[in-house]
Amino acid sequence: MSIRRYLVLILLSVITLVTFIAAIEGYNASMQKASSIFDAELKILANTLIAIEAAPEQQDKTLLEAGAQTNLAFQLWQGNDLVLKSNNAPDRRMSQKKSGFTENNFLGQRWRTYVKSSGSDGGRMVILAQPVQRRFELAEDVILSAVLPIILAMPLLALFISLTIRQALKPLTHLTKELKSKKPNDLSLLQTHTKTKELEPVVYTLNHLFERLSGAFERERHFASDAAHELRTPLSVLKINVHNVRNELGHESQAMSHLTESVDRMAHVVDQILMLNRTSPEQVSLDSTEVNLTSLIQQTISDLYPEIAQREQTISLESEEQIIRGNEFSLRILIQNLISNASKYTPDGGAIQVSTARVQERLVLVVEDSGPGIKPEEYQRVFNRFYRVGGDQHNSKIIGCGLGLSIVKHIAVLHNADIELSQSPELKGLKVSVSFTQENNKVARLAANQTTNQAINKVSSTANALLPEDSDG
Amino acid sequence: MRILLVEDDMPLAQGLQQSLRHEGFVVNHVNTGQLALNALAVPDQDMVILDLGLPDMDGLSVLKKLRNNKADIPVIILTARDSIEHKVKGLDFGADDYLAKPFDIHELLARLRVIERRLGTAKTSVIQLGSVQLDIAAHKVGIDGQDINLSKKEYMVLKALMENAGRIQSREQIESRLYDWGEEVASNAVEVHVHNLRKKLPEKFIQTVRGVGYTVNKS
Repeated sequence: MSIRRYLVLILLSVITLVTFIAAIEGYNASMQKASSIFDAELKILANTLIAIEAAPEQQDKTLLEAGAQTNLAFQLWQGNDLVLKSNNAPDRRMSQKKSGFTENNFLGQRWRTYVKSSGSDGGRMVILAQPVQRRFELAEDVILSAVLPIILAMPLLALFISLTIRQALKPLTHLTKELKSKKPNDLSLLQTHTKTKELEPVVYTLNHLFERLSGAFERERHFASDAAHELRTPLSVLKINVHNVRNELGHESQAMSHLTESVDRMAHVVDQILMLNRTSPEQVSLDSTEVNLTSLIQQTISDLYPEIAQREQTISLESEEQIIRGNEFSLRILIQNLISNASKYTPDGGAIQVSTARVQERLVLVVEDSGPGIKPEEYQRVFNRFYRVGGDQHNSKIIGCGLGLSIVKHIAVLHNADIELSQSPELKGLKVSVSFTQENNKVARLAANQTTNQAINKVSSTANALLPEDSDG
Repeated sequence: MRILLVEDDMPLAQGLQQSLRHEGFVVNHVNTGQLALNALAVPDQDMVILDLGLPDMDGLSVLKKLRNNKADIPVIILTARDSIEHKVKGLDFGADDYLAKPFDIHELLARLRVIERRLGTAKTSVIQLGSVQLDIAAHKVGIDGQDINLSKKEYMVLKALMENAGRIQSREQIESRLYDWGEEVASNAVEVHVHNLRKKLPEKFIQTVRGVGYTVNKS
């Protein structure tokens, strides 16, 4: 529920309720006031009438009719005789009381009567009667004229309250809008400047948080590129010097080929660990663009072709032009890892097939090979970090560290894609299918955003944990 | 061929110099971008191996300044950064080739030879793959010493493939070579040329990587 609607509703309800109660109170008070005024009038009139010692014949006709106009009825009794009465008065005595006020019914309505007697039993008696209805009418008139303006003003009041609240909540609305329009990985400071006492600490705290978070991300990003530089340059030195020593030796030795192999393996592990870091959500979901998946696959096959050709494997690509929304860098890593995995685990002279297809709104990327494949019971575990099929009996000639498929999984999750492992029906080896959902890129982005926080912790702990573990083994 | 090596990491520079000298290249080494620009102000270098991570300026700025100044001197970029943007930028700024660290020295040598042959500074202008020889200087192709007749375009296609032996050349890459020649290219031109080349060359010399492009094997 919006605060504005809530406030408008509550305020209007309270105002209506208070007005209503005030009206009831006012009505009662007006009624009392009207009663006492009318009573006093009756009293004065009765006193005046009884004081007039005039004969009935001498009475002015107008006096008798005046009663009819004001609804005031009167009777003048001399003992038990009705001497004089107004036209609207009945013939019976209007009040049985000897003196004072009473209320009774006659002539079809309720009357307030006042009796004034002069002296003893046989003396004159004036009875004045006024319909009670008159008092109600007066009280209603008074209260209505007091309450009506408020009731008429109610819509105006509602509008005014609504506008005022909207104005008062403007800083909050502004802040909400800004937060809403922020991209998942936009950690820039909030532009909302507010002097509002309630919002200032919120904006301040949020900005502080953003600052710290972007600092952390920045360090994370730098870690990857710094580590890349710090590790890759010495690795290059190693490789070149191994080459130079080989040249100097002038002949092949087993020690030298072990050395070459180990350097290559180390280079590979370093590369994969950096990839794992580079493809972490906060690094990747920054820029998602339209990516030509087909040309990306073509480029990747070209990049990997020397290794594939060296092992006399054949590779083919079956793909229409497919455009996908995602992060180009990480998609390239995904394809690279899948194809290089297929090549690694396929014997010399084997075959690798890469294809893409649209299956019910989904874009499916398939990499299959003629290698030994993976047993179905191992399908889940191969995505674990450092897990290698066959464990220690693993063919040690194959350079790998068990991170390839973890990285693939990482990237697939980022793109909201599913990975499925199965046996290739044609080549009999492993078949990896990565299916991308085309329509819910928004969802993918949201998911990426949500996993960001968890993933930051996971990745940084991985990065920290990986290095010592690696050196142990 | 005289190579200017721009690299700030001394052990790497020394190792590289040793390897390159062993292959018969003349190597001059500088370790900052400014020194590189100074050295290239006089035209006595044939090509540059440029590391992107330099202490005084970004390697890309060195490349940019170099290209602004005039020089169409060939440049191979070395970098420890793995981002694709750097590769694309490097090539956009006019680098001739790109190698990511840790690179294979054989890969570097292969690319140097392509440049060498292009510059005409190679000891031999002949690329020999299996029984096929391609003489870049004489624009001649032979099988076991027997010259064969190729059209200009067929020669260009074969040269592109043999210069990059072991690597895949996509149809687009080959097409761009033909465009360089200044010819209009029909949509199936490359297929037609490859088809004709295959008839004149040994069986399986040009291989098709289905969906990607063509290649010839290194050996």
